[in-house]
Amino acid sequence: MKYGRVYFDDVKVGDELPPLVKGPIKQIQLTRYAGASGDFNPIHQDDEFARAAGMGGVFAHGMLSMGFVGQAVTDWAGAGTVRKLGVRFAALVRLKDVVTCRGRVVAKSSTAGAQLVDLEVWAENQRAEKVVTGRATVALPARG
Amino acid sequence: MAIQINRGLIGKEYPPYPVTVERGKIKEFARALGDDNPHYLDDRVGAASEWGDLIAPPTFAVTLRDETADTTAFLKELGTDISRILHGEQEFEIFRPLQPGRTYLCRPRVVDIYEKPGRSGPMAFVVRETAITDDTNEIVATMRGVTIVRL
Repeated sequence: MKYGRVYFDDVKVGDELPPLVKGPIKQIQLTRYAGASGDFNPIHQDDEFARAAGMGGVFAHGMLSMGFVGQAVTDWAGAGTVRKLGVRFAALVRLKDVVTCRGRVVAKSSTAGAQLVDLEVWAENQRAEKVVTGRATVALPARG
Repeated sequence: MAIQINRGLIGKEYPPYPVTVERGKIKEFARALGDDNPHYLDDRVGAASEWGDLIAPPTFAVTLRDETADTTAFLKELGTDISRILHGEQEFEIFRPLQPGRTYLCRPRVVDIYEKPGRSGPMAFVVRETAITDDTNEIVATMRGVTIVRL
């Protein structure tokens, strides 16, 4: 089941998230993301502009890849569980790239009222180069 | 031809601005990501959920823009333009998911500006943070972004 419930008790350090494969990235997705996010920087839309800016052509919004990573986390942990998500944009995502988002449990902690799981998260392209690296914290329900 | 970044902006706070989250905007954003989670898209699932309505995906706060502000003006004030900037880092801390129909107040400020050499030449890093509160003045989320300026 795609949106299964994950309980804090069942999670172990070292557990891996199911990989989320996105793409190949098409121009239309960058255009939709521009409209949805309000980021209309022509560097993501206009190849001529991007070349003139010295970027070698259009590339994806970093926030699109971060959104993919967020989805990988919520597909596993559930919508509304994310307490922290922080990333560094390590490399550009280009048109036709396939972005695979991954994650791994690195720590668990239980405080008053919240069971938190820390994840290492990242996204890589089809050449296994990391395009996004970061960390996430999710709050999970306890069993019973 | 290197450009000069205005480090005088460090610590500058921008006027707080309200944003009312639109239901359709949450759906549009989720669809643009290709994320079909029903908590973002299906009003009935939202209504039956613990939140009582749709919620926004974790990175949705990035859409909370000040419609009265001119981005090109900020870049000009910084001493650069849109062709030279890249997104370096981004972080969200979320205390409660954002929800449709609610009005949030965003308070942006420039936290830091520093320069260091990058792979393709000298770069400036502009760190901005926005605190997002709800109509009871409770903090809902913070976002922190690092913009890289190619000097």
